[in-house]
Amino acid sequence: MTGYIRPLQRLSRSDEPTFGGKSANLGELLAADIPVPPGFALSTAAFEAFVTGSDLGQTPDDARANAMRAAPVPEAVREELTLAYTALAEAVGVADPPVAVRSSAIGEDSQEATFAGQQDTYLWVRGSENVCNAARDCWASLYSPTAIAYRARLAETGNAPAMGVTVQLMVDAEVSGVMFTCNPVSGDPSMVAVNSSWGLGLAVVGGEVTPDDFLVSKVTREVVREHIHPKDVQYVPDPGGKGAVRVAVEGDRREAPSLEQADLERLVEVARRIERYFGCHQDIEWALPRGETERVFIVQTRPVTAVAKKPDKPKPASAMSLIMSTFGAAPPKDA
Amino acid sequence: MATTAPKAGAFPSPYEIETPPGCEGWEEMYPYYALFDERRRDTDEHRFWFWNSMHFPMPMPAFDVICIDSPYQAVGAWQNRVFAVPPAMGIDYRCINGYIYISGNPVTDPEKIAERAGFFQERAGYYFQNWSELYGKWRSKMEALINELADLKVPDLPEYEPDEVAFGDDRNTAFYEVLDAYPRALRLGDMMWQHHFEFLLLGYGAYGTFVEFCKGHLPDIPDQHIAQMVAGIDVLLFRPDAELRRLARLAIETGVDGAFQQGHTPDEIDADLQRSDAGQSWLAELEKVKDPWFNMATGDGLYHYYRSWLDDPSIPYASLIGHISALNAGEQIDRPTEEIQRERDRLAEEYGSLLDEDSRAPFNDLLNLSRTVFPYVEEHKFFCDYWFLTRWWNKIREFGALLARNDFLDDGEDVFQLSRYEVASALDELVLTWATGGLPLGPKHWPPIVARRKEILKRLGDWTPPPAVGVTPDAVTDPMTIMLWGVTTERVQEWARQQDGGSVLNGAAASPGLVEGIARVVRSVDQIGDVRDGEILVCGSTSPAWAPIFSKIKATVTDVGGVMSHAAIVAREYGLPAVVGTGRATAAIHTGQTIRVDGSEGTVTLL
Repeated sequence: MTGYIRPLQRLSRSDEPTFGGKSANLGELLAADIPVPPGFALSTAAFEAFVTGSDLGQTPDDARANAMRAAPVPEAVREELTLAYTALAEAVGVADPPVAVRSSAIGEDSQEATFAGQQDTYLWVRGSENVCNAARDCWASLYSPTAIAYRARLAETGNAPAMGVTVQLMVDAEVSGVMFTCNPVSGDPSMVAVNSSWGLGLAVVGGEVTPDDFLVSKVTREVVREHIHPKDVQYVPDPGGKGAVRVAVEGDRREAPSLEQADLERLVEVARRIERYFGCHQDIEWALPRGETERVFIVQTRPVTAVAKKPDKPKPASAMSLIMSTFGAAPPKDA
Repeated sequence: MATTAPKAGAFPSPYEIETPPGCEGWEEMYPYYALFDERRRDTDEHRFWFWNSMHFPMPMPAFDVICIDSPYQAVGAWQNRVFAVPPAMGIDYRCINGYIYISGNPVTDPEKIAERAGFFQERAGYYFQNWSELYGKWRSKMEALINELADLKVPDLPEYEPDEVAFGDDRNTAFYEVLDAYPRALRLGDMMWQHHFEFLLLGYGAYGTFVEFCKGHLPDIPDQHIAQMVAGIDVLLFRPDAELRRLARLAIETGVDGAFQQGHTPDEIDADLQRSDAGQSWLAELEKVKDPWFNMATGDGLYHYYRSWLDDPSIPYASLIGHISALNAGEQIDRPTEEIQRERDRLAEEYGSLLDEDSRAPFNDLLNLSRTVFPYVEEHKFFCDYWFLTRWWNKIREFGALLARNDFLDDGEDVFQLSRYEVASALDELVLTWATGGLPLGPKHWPPIVARRKEILKRLGDWTPPPAVGVTPDAVTDPMTIMLWGVTTERVQEWARQQDGGSVLNGAAASPGLVEGIARVVRSVDQIGDVRDGEILVCGSTSPAWAPIFSKIKATVTDVGGVMSHAAIVAREYGLPAVVGTGRATAAIHTGQTIRVDGSEGTVTLL
């Protein structure tokens, strides 16, 4: 292989400028022994080869997306991608394994600006031809109207935008969701806040269902609060083999909790390891595979960007002055 | 407490509460100053008063009023005159239909508050700095007081004084001895209450500050975890049950466990044990344990109804039967103290490490101080409310027996239907007529009064007091009201909303868990025996001495109490869901009704 593709486990934080934040982060997670579905990453060099080879240099920004979707993927990139995909298929022992193809933008997932959601994600993609096309569609999404507007708002410096792509084995999730390593509403650092729903993660991330909502103590693993909501829809792999489809949740499962105590305990365990590894609060997407929900897969993680600071969070004060104020005896001014 | 003009539709005026049928004249049982009197209407009607159902869930017998006066004299003296808690003086009480309503006296003048703050900082600071030493002295004082009470003799009135009075020096006649002993008995009670409150405010305040600190920095922390970090390991209050567990094991080891049959009375069990040598040695071992560990009360001690385990061994015997059958079924019954200790340290360590740098030092300091004050918070109940008070009521019973022997009362127990002044008056006439040989009026005077009051109390017991009367405060600012009764602004607003009724009661989430079950409303301790396995206990409040009940029930709901109330503490110890401070559970719920208790959310749903 030349330089376009690298397996996720060989990436680290320092590869972010060439492979993008998402891929680099997944590499970090693997290094920390966090269970991440296997996969590989395309560097920004692949994107640049594509742009150069397609002669798009003069196309105005707002016409680029369509032009890119029609342009061919460079042969060298295509070959490497096919090789990497075939290697993945061999590693997991499945012909044409389903993968998720996601953009991995430069600057995305940074603590300051969450670029997430501005680029497209392609789920349940099978076959190397389709993977190539999905990667191209990711590149094209860099010029979607929302992405253009987003970049304009950030007033980015003159650097030409670039993008990596993450290709990851798809977890056919029975349950999936998001979790924060703190309560983002109250700011409590001793809690993990978990949202979950049936099927693939799309429904939760896309806000199409009101997920089940759990607050779990990091200290004792107790569920401190839970709200089970009716979950009307879920995303499942298209029986036709391509993409994911939205279907109704059947019968009793609508109102049933999507996670049990043991699931929550495993999730909190992983959340704490991720938080310790990165040293700051994390916003984590996870999935429990169908038929083996005792396994936890982390699909992505990024620093929590906005924790509500409790407005009346007490100022630091000595124990004795706090007791005095309990009795309405404010401490002397010079204390 | 800040109040505004009366609002329509909230709580009733204390002056508009009707007397239940057949209870006319109830006022005569209570001191003039305890009533909502027209001469004080202008101020009393514009204050907020809440029913202190935590301490006074039942209508007060006339004598038991001393257990309102003395505690409020004592708590006010410490709070207002010794420590000078800056914004709050003491607590006023009033009586409506036999039920006790209370209201704090605020300090509103900023200059006065500042002046008091100077006293408070210096004096409270001294107590906190020297806590362990001062508390050590306190325990000695309490033990001396309990001995003094035991030594107090209630003399009989002999036909002829013994020779010693005629021939010896310094011997008093019985009339003087009686008139000397009665007020001394009352004064010993006052002394106990003085001791009771010496540390209480500061102890609860230190712990309360730690609780607030945790909730400020860890907003979602379960109350139970806070309590677990502080709670003592080797707690005096757990000793009585620990001794029972030891005796249960001894019974099995020595082969006498067969005597402890479900449904047998303590007398039947004792008789069974007497039949064998092993049984007799077991009973001898029990005797050793009784003093002091059977000085537990069957209730929280503010009524004469609550006897000690010594007086009524059915509760410890029920525990013994339970422990023995659990042990024989192979269950582990010991309190896992090492595990509790490990978990307590682990929680403290983990929570400490999750806090930011700035908060860690005050967290640790407050935790350590809470642990320092907690022995008092837990142990004063045993020394004061159980050990002293159950013996003190028995001392009053001795005066009752004296009056009954002389036909002033039909039964010694009737002494509690007279006020403490009336008892003094009856004793005066008794010793007078004993001395003169004249015809006493007492036997004609007191029994009809007693009979009428018993009937009134019975009827008042069926009346349900509103959770509060007077005006609804904009905010509850009295730190003592919040700290000791858990009556917060939110709680009062909830009570006000619920005046219209509703099928969901809100209270404090005191012990987590969700259960549904059949309610058992228990209004007084003599109804405890009605509780069936698996029911949900609904009551005014509870005490740790009800321990055997907690092994039967599956949840608890109380009218009054915060997360530090006894129902909350015991429920957590037993791992039962508890919602406390609902304001009206005993009024809104009836026995047999199915309810859902959510101890994590603090809600009770009537199904």
